[in-house]
Amino acid sequence: MTKKITVMFGGIQGEGVVSTGDTLIRALSRSGYFAYGYRTFSSRIKGGHTNYVIEVCTKKVLSCSDKLDILVAFDQDTIALQYKKLKKGGLLIYDDIILVKELQNTLEDKNIQWISVPLTGTAKEYGATVMKNTAIIGILGKLFQLPFSKLEGVIHQSFQKKSEEILVKNLSVLKKSYETPFAEDFDHLQYTLSPSADQTIRAAMIGNEAIALGALSAGCRFMAAYPITPASEIMEYLTKKFPQVNGVMVQTEDEISAVTMTIGASYAGTRSMTATSGPGISLMMEGIGLAGMAEIPLVIVDAQRGGPSTGLPTKHEQSDLNSLYYGPHGEIPSIILYPYSVEECFYQTIEAFNLAEKYQCPVFILSDLNLSLSRQTIDPLDIHQISIDRGKVASASSHNLPSSKSYKRFLFTDDGISPRAYPGTPDHMHPITGIEHQESGRPDESDQNRSRMMEKRMSKLKPLKDLPGIDLFGNPNSSLLILSMGSNFGIIQDAVASLDTPVAIGMMKRIKPLPASQLSCLFQQYHKILVVENNCTGQLANILKQETGYHQQIHSLLKYNGLPFTHQDIQMKIEELI
Amino acid sequence: MPSAMDYSNNTTPTWCLGCGDFSVLRSLQGAAARLDIAPHNLAVVSGIGCSGRISGYLNVYGFHSIHGRALPVAQGIKLVNPELTVIAAGGDGDGFAIGTAHTIHAIRRNIDITYVVMNNQVYGLTKGHTSPLSTTGFITKSTPHGSIESPIKPGILALSAGATFVAQGFSGYQEQLVHILTKAILHKGFSFVNVFSPCVTFNKTNTYQWFREHLLNLDDIDNYDSHSLQSAMNQYLATDGLFTGILYENDDPDYYSKLPGERGSAVVHQNLDISDQFNQLMEDFY
Repeated sequence: MTKKITVMFGGIQGEGVVSTGDTLIRALSRSGYFAYGYRTFSSRIKGGHTNYVIEVCTKKVLSCSDKLDILVAFDQDTIALQYKKLKKGGLLIYDDIILVKELQNTLEDKNIQWISVPLTGTAKEYGATVMKNTAIIGILGKLFQLPFSKLEGVIHQSFQKKSEEILVKNLSVLKKSYETPFAEDFDHLQYTLSPSADQTIRAAMIGNEAIALGALSAGCRFMAAYPITPASEIMEYLTKKFPQVNGVMVQTEDEISAVTMTIGASYAGTRSMTATSGPGISLMMEGIGLAGMAEIPLVIVDAQRGGPSTGLPTKHEQSDLNSLYYGPHGEIPSIILYPYSVEECFYQTIEAFNLAEKYQCPVFILSDLNLSLSRQTIDPLDIHQISIDRGKVASASSHNLPSSKSYKRFLFTDDGISPRAYPGTPDHMHPITGIEHQESGRPDESDQNRSRMMEKRMSKLKPLKDLPGIDLFGNPNSSLLILSMGSNFGIIQDAVASLDTPVAIGMMKRIKPLPASQLSCLFQQYHKILVVENNCTGQLANILKQETGYHQQIHSLLKYNGLPFTHQDIQMKIEELI
Repeated sequence: MPSAMDYSNNTTPTWCLGCGDFSVLRSLQGAAARLDIAPHNLAVVSGIGCSGRISGYLNVYGFHSIHGRALPVAQGIKLVNPELTVIAAGGDGDGFAIGTAHTIHAIRRNIDITYVVMNNQVYGLTKGHTSPLSTTGFITKSTPHGSIESPIKPGILALSAGATFVAQGFSGYQEQLVHILTKAILHKGFSFVNVFSPCVTFNKTNTYQWFREHLLNLDDIDNYDSHSLQSAMNQYLATDGLFTGILYENDDPDYYSKLPGERGSAVVHQNLDISDQFNQLMEDFY
């Protein structure tokens, strides 16, 4: 039987709530269980309430339930702000230094159990105050009945790089917390996780880490980026790993420099990327146009957050679609991929590098805050499933490619794609420019040349329209298809799972060029199409209407308050439509 | 030994007759020939404006980028392929208006490239507008009552950003310019070269004649110590920036030599397959 427990940690931002959540997820993933974490944080370094919700499950899980089974409170604020999210009969675990007298009546009304545990106390006695985070790992580990060795393992991994003393103290805090028995009147057995069917040790990752690892695996060896929430983990990972593969990461002075430096490195023949969020995309637009015009491969990650302007810098939204879809001034070919799970972040990043070099144009890997930052237990990533395709490249020794005298960088070809020549290749010197140019690369503003060149560039991506770009889930024997993108996948899947009505789900993993052939099949198969997206104007729905013409069948569910959809949001809309 | 003409692609420049940029183009070709750089190993990245066209007139890997962004593009190229000689060139608008931030940070990074500012103190291609290097009082279409802003002092800005090579040339002194560019290319690190390149159409103040009358040649100063930051600053201030020659140079290590890790061959030549390291990389996530 599937067992699910939803637990929230709440406390003061900057006091270790995030690392505690991450540690618990790792411990669960190592023990054969699945976990999915969702972080709520604000745009400040220390202070203010922060919380981390973790869905613990005996099978794969990709969203958190709307209501909590367990609330762990490190401070008074957490109880006041979050206890209403507890289910009837839920459990409040709080640090015994907190006074809960005022809340007692309310908690009793809601039929909530509460237990106080000496988190700060144990931490202080066996280590230091900050180790209250380790104390709660011990207590929850015991509550779930996770093997102590697994907990020990993750604590080891978390602290082995610090001093021996810190590690030893954390281990004693863990041991003491794990060994202290619960009060006799507390029915803790209902929280025991049944032994997992398989004892498989799984990895836990956030989307940004999977994108970065995907880039490394795809042969990306250069990154230029400017720090921004929620994309920074990508540059942080690559700058750590690049030295071992002779790669280079540069933290630039701004996003304009990031994108143009990436273009330079890519032009020179290295797989290169940049990563940013909405504000950075706005700054990069002119550079993106250059890559489109000069036919230079370019991979850009856009981890979306709430816009416009500074908007909601630490909240979830999917509102950059229009910017990327309609792109810079003028018209360029570009590709938008949108993974919907951490595993897909890995594979689609690899795909992005292949597409960028095959079609010699900008490729966006779209993500959202929820996908980029939510840590989750993942299925094994298979490096052997991937291939690296550098596309058409001219070299001094290739005989089937144009010889030196006639080398034309922008040669007209049947598929619109001309072989690139990296600087350093003998006899292939050529100019390139953002000005309209002839096959040779020299500027040419004549009307005839302009039309032909525009058609060359814009026809390159035609074959993609016939390739599928939507992954299908749910029950196909339905009249309703939900189309959505990114991290909404887990939420929709879990929301639909508990309904009796059959509902089909389609995840848009390529938004540009739209998978036109596949879409027209789907519009014929399903009477109603519900487009679920986190923005105010229905950007995806509008693009689908514009490109497919099936206006009558398309319905929208929108949310733009900075929070992801809840299961209930989805369920209510489905009930309304069916 | 190649000749300067080996670096020409026989395109007729769009520049006005007498434009200072002709001399910059010929001097670059001359320096490349003097250093015997194979044309395929030379990448020239330019910005936008009259000066930006220079990359299209060379038989090399020429990259005409966007306004103000020649430097980031050039840095990207050099970082992944240090075997190339990389030169960025642009106008005073590229370097000191729209791209000022890149100028400062490129200098600070000290990547081994040469940056040539083709400085005519006016926006020529927009048909005569003021530049951040125009003198106060300069009359243009956008400053009909005379510019009321102070010009940037490029050399001082470069020195304060930590430049390891700062020089100035003049289109009218081509032999010296070839020499300066040769030294700049040889310098291991970021070389900043500001070239007074008169605009014969829109700048009737800073003309060839005017420069000949006002420029001091540092080569004429006995015992000028180009390795002293103090002398460089003093010299710049004493002449109000009106000089030619190598103002400052030092031997600080360049960016590439400071990168962490064992750096064997260029990034661009790396094997991209990491499947043998993949399991070890996954260890971080358990």
